[in-house]
Amino acid sequence: MGSTFSQSDPTAASPAKREREHDMTMLISRRGLLGATVSLPFLHLAEAAAATSDTLKFGLSAFPTSLEPFLNNGTSPATMRLMMHRGLFGYAPDGTLRGELAEHWENDGGVKWTIRLREAFWHNGAPVTVDDVRYTIETVGAEKSTAYLRAQMQDIVKIETPDPRTLTLTTKTPIVTLPLWFGSYYLPIIGKGSWKANAPGEGAGPFVLGDVERGQSIEFAAFDKFYDKSKPKLKKVRFIAYPDENLRVAALQAGDVDIIDYVPWQAMEAIEADARLKLESTSGPFMFLQFNFQRKPFDDPRVRLAVAHAIRRDEIVKAAFFGRGAALEGFATPDNSPYFEPDLAHDWRYDPQKAKALLAEAGVGDGLKCTLLSTAQYGMHKNTAEVVQQHLGEIGIAAELTLPDWATRVTMGNKGQYDIAVQGTAWENADPESYSQLIDGALAPSAARSYGIDIPELGPLLAAGRSEFDPAKRKQIYRDVQRISLEKCPYVSLAWRSQGYAMKKEVQGFVNIPGPITFYSGTTLEQTTV
Amino acid sequence: MGWILRRIAISLLLIWVVSSIVFLAIHLVPGDPAEVLLSLGGSAPDADSVAALRAQLGLDQPILTQYLHSLSHFVVGDLGDSLSDGTPVMSEALRRLPRTLELIGAAALISTAAGVPAGVAAAVNRGGPLGRCFSALSGLALSTPVFVVGSLLVMIFAQWLRLAPAGGYVAFGEDPLRHLLLLSMPAATIALGLWAQIFRMTRSSLLDVLQRDFIRTARAKGLREHAVIMRHALRNALAPILTVLALNVGSLLGGTVLVEYIFNWPGLSGALVEAVNNRDYPMVVGCIVIISTLFVSLNLLVDIAYGLLDPRVRAR
Repeated sequence: MGSTFSQSDPTAASPAKREREHDMTMLISRRGLLGATVSLPFLHLAEAAAATSDTLKFGLSAFPTSLEPFLNNGTSPATMRLMMHRGLFGYAPDGTLRGELAEHWENDGGVKWTIRLREAFWHNGAPVTVDDVRYTIETVGAEKSTAYLRAQMQDIVKIETPDPRTLTLTTKTPIVTLPLWFGSYYLPIIGKGSWKANAPGEGAGPFVLGDVERGQSIEFAAFDKFYDKSKPKLKKVRFIAYPDENLRVAALQAGDVDIIDYVPWQAMEAIEADARLKLESTSGPFMFLQFNFQRKPFDDPRVRLAVAHAIRRDEIVKAAFFGRGAALEGFATPDNSPYFEPDLAHDWRYDPQKAKALLAEAGVGDGLKCTLLSTAQYGMHKNTAEVVQQHLGEIGIAAELTLPDWATRVTMGNKGQYDIAVQGTAWENADPESYSQLIDGALAPSAARSYGIDIPELGPLLAAGRSEFDPAKRKQIYRDVQRISLEKCPYVSLAWRSQGYAMKKEVQGFVNIPGPITFYSGTTLEQTTV
Repeated sequence: MGWILRRIAISLLLIWVVSSIVFLAIHLVPGDPAEVLLSLGGSAPDADSVAALRAQLGLDQPILTQYLHSLSHFVVGDLGDSLSDGTPVMSEALRRLPRTLELIGAAALISTAAGVPAGVAAAVNRGGPLGRCFSALSGLALSTPVFVVGSLLVMIFAQWLRLAPAGGYVAFGEDPLRHLLLLSMPAATIALGLWAQIFRMTRSSLLDVLQRDFIRTARAKGLREHAVIMRHALRNALAPILTVLALNVGSLLGGTVLVEYIFNWPGLSGALVEAVNNRDYPMVVGCIVIISTLFVSLNLLVDIAYGLLDPRVRAR
C-alpha cells in the first residue's frame, strides 16, 4: 500500500486559454467560410448537400443496438454515450485520465476515496449532485443489474455524502484503479431516478440526444450548460450508420459525411493519397489466440507455447490487415506504456524448431488434430484464422477451422466448444489492471478469454497489482505477471491492428486517442470543428 | 361466401404454421441473445449480468411458455418488442416495409420501362445488330451479381463522378430530390437483372405471337406494321411478361438484402438480417410474419379473384 495522494483536474481551461481557443475557432470559421464561398460554384452535388460549418456528419460503422448507459454493447453505443454523458473521469486527447464531473479527488492510501464534484448540470437543467453519483453506483451494482461494471460497484461498501458536491467512497479492499472504473464509458453518471430499460438516462455531456431513426441515424444538439463553457464547438452532430465498410469510405469520398470510424485497412492507402482527406490511425486493438485449458493437450503449457512459436505474425498483418498493423511477439503491452518490458517483448517469436521440440516434449510430437474456432462474419477474424491454420500445419498440428456467425461463435466460446480460438480485443484502459480480462482464471468463463484458465500464480499477483499504490512496486508486479504469462500462455498474442478514423481536411480538433483507449476518441467531438 | 371463408381460414393457418416454424428454428440456432447483446463490445460479460438480462427478456422461461406467450400476443396483432432496444416490432416492420416496397416498385418500373421496348425492338429486328446487342447485354446483366453492380454504381456515380450520394435514406417528405437520388442507384441495381428477364420474355413471347395467323391476317388487311406490333402482337404477348414480373416482385420482397446493405437502404430485408445476427427473436419472427402475410394475402386475393371469375374454381 502506498502513500496518500490527491489530484485536481489539470485540464480545466484558464480564461486566457479559452479566449485563445475561441479566437482560433473564429479564425477557422472565417477561413472555412471564405473557402466555401470561393469554391461553392465548383462543388459537386453531393458535397453541396454535405455538412455546414456548425454541423458534423459522422459515418458510423454500426447503428447502436441500445442506448442504455451501462451495457457493454459495442463501440457505437459507447460513442453515443461519450456525446451525451460524462463520468466522474474521462480521457484527454493524449490518453491521460482527467477529471470530468470530478474536479478534485484523493485517496487516503487505502480504501477511502474522496471526490469533489465540479459545478455541472444535467440536460434537464438540474445541478449534478452527489445524490446522482450515489444513485448511479447503486443502480449499476444492484442485484439484478445487467451493467458491465456491476461487480466493481459491489466492491464499494460505503458511500458518504458530507455535502452536495463531496462524496467519499469506501471499497472492500484498496483499489488503485477506482478512477479508471469511473472513467469507463460503461459507467457514465446519470441523473437520479433516470434509469430505465432501453433508455439513455439523464446525461450531463456536451450534447443532447435529438432525433433517433432506428437503424439509420441519431442526431445530437449542443448542450449550452455543459460544464466546460468553451465546448462543444459544434451546434449539431448527425451520426449516420453505414455498416458496409466500403460504402462508409465511399460516403466520405463523395462528401456525404465529414468523418468515419473503423476505416477498412484496404482503404487507408487511398485515403492517405486523397488531398481532401486525412487519416488518424493508432495501434490499439490486437488479435490473439485463446485455448481451452480443459481439453488435452492444451492443458499443457508446452503445447500452448509451441503454438506461440509456430506463427509468422508478419503474414497475419499482411493477410488480415493489409500491412496496417504490427507483429506482436510478446505480452500485448504497448511500447509507450510504463509497464512495457523490452526484454520480454519477443518471447513468442517465430521459432518452428522450438515449437516442434516443445510438442515432442509434451508427447504429441507425432502430430495432433484440433479445432480452430473463429467467425466468418468478420474478415479479420477469418483471415487470421486461415493463416494460423496454415502455420500450425507446418509444425504438425492439423487444425480444423470452424467459422460460424458471430453470435454462434460467442456461445461456443462461452461454453468452451473449441481447442484453439481466434479473438480480437483492446485493453479496457491503459492500466495493466485490465490484463485480468484475458488472463484471470478466477473470472467466469467467457468467449473473450481462454476457457478454464488454470494458472494459480497469476491470481495473487493480479490482486496485489490492484491494491498497490506504489508505482515501482506495481511495475515489478506486472513484470512478473507478464513473465509468467509468457511461460504459461493464458493467451498468445498475434498482431496489433491499426484502428483508424478518416475525415475531411476541414475537420479540426478530432483526435484518435492513442493506444487501447482509441474507442474513447468520441470524447474529442466536444472540441471538434468543421 | 363459405368458399371465401374457407380460403381465409387456410391462409390464417398458413401464417400460423410459418410463424411457428420460424419461432422454433430461430430458437434452435446456436447463439444466446443475452450473451450477444452483452458481449458486442468484445469484452466478457459477467455471468450474473447475462442471467439477469435473460430474465429481463423472458428468455429464462421454457420455450413452450415463450411460444404461447408470443402466440397470445400475435392474435391481437402484437408482434412483441425487439430484444435489442425494446422497440415494438410491428411499428418497426411497418416503418421499414414501405421502403422495401418502394425499392421493388421503382425497380419493377425501371425494368419494365426499359425491358419491354428493348424486347420489342429485338423481336422486330430479329437477328439484327440491335437485337444481338440487347441479347448480349441481357446475358451480362443476368450473370452479374447485384453486389458487383451495386459496388460499380457507387464507385462510378458517387466516388468518381460524384453525381449522387453513395447511399443512405432520406424521407420523401423531407427532401424529395435527395430521396429520389438515393433511390435511383439501388433501384437501378435491382432493375438490371429484372430488365434482362423482362427483355428476354418480351422478345420470345412477341416472336411467338408474331408467328400466329391473326398477325398474318392483320398484315394482309394492310395495317401499318407499328399498329400490328403495338396494338395486336404486344397486347397478346403481355401475359407471360406480367407473370415473370409478378413472380420476381414476389421473390424480391425478402430478397433485397444485399442491395439494402450495399446502399444502406433501411428496408425490411436489412432489418431481418440484422435481427438474425443479433438473435433478436421477436424481430426475426415479426419480419417474417409480415412478409409471409403479404405473400399469403396476395395469393388469397388472386384465389378469390379466380373464384369470382370462374365458378368451376369455387366448386373444387
